[in-house]
Amino acid sequence: MASALRGALLCHLRVPVALSRSNWDPLGSVARFMSSGHDDHLTKEEVIHRVLDVVKSFPKVDPSKVTPDVHFQKDLGLDSLDSVEIVMALEEEFKLEIPDKEADKIDSCNLAIEYIHNHPLAS
Amino acid sequence: MSVTSTVGGYLARRAAQKERVRILYRRALKDTLNWAVHRHLFYEDACNLRERFEANKHVEDLDTIDRMIADGEAQYDKWRHPDPYIVPWAPGGSKFTRNPTPPSGIDIVYDYGREDNA
Repeated sequence: MASALRGALLCHLRVPVALSRSNWDPLGSVARFMSSGHDDHLTKEEVIHRVLDVVKSFPKVDPSKVTPDVHFQKDLGLDSLDSVEIVMALEEEFKLEIPDKEADKIDSCNLAIEYIHNHPLAS
Repeated sequence: MSVTSTVGGYLARRAAQKERVRILYRRALKDTLNWAVHRHLFYEDACNLRERFEANKHVEDLDTIDRMIADGEAQYDKWRHPDPYIVPWAPGGSKFTRNPTPPSGIDIVYDYGREDNA
């Protein structure tokens, strides 16, 4: 009985064995995945969200005032050393190493978001 | 020398000094983090560092400011950490140029073209 059923099944069942060679790239993706430069990019929304989180958690900042285009010194009432501290906190958040001269130029949320979004190694 | 050029010179020198102070503070703060073994120790050290900067906030004389900045930079140089933390991908970091991504357009040929005829 069982063998008859098995034979009947095997007569009618076909498992298509089609391996498309063009998509078959197991090692390539692994090589990309394991290499040190990674291409997975942060989305703009994620960058904005995380930058604002960092700025809001700064002790001297009133969280309700923080929007994506505030200026650290003009709008939030911080001084230049505070903005240095914020930029350093952003560097730690996104695991970045920003050169001193460029970090000095970042003085608003807008610029920070722009810089981090365009940085290939932000994560 | 006209009045405008003196004012301009004053402002330019002030701006340069402010930038030097910001960069000195940034480097000193990073160095404080390098020296701190734990995060809670860093907060205290950072507070002290900030106080040292705030103490001379209202100094007006340009030459005095220049001397103070030079003094601060000398102190920073003297106490610089010998083995600072570097972000892994940055030059000097632990992952720098390790196993870089293959250039785009370069693929691995698995069987030298023979797999097409199999």
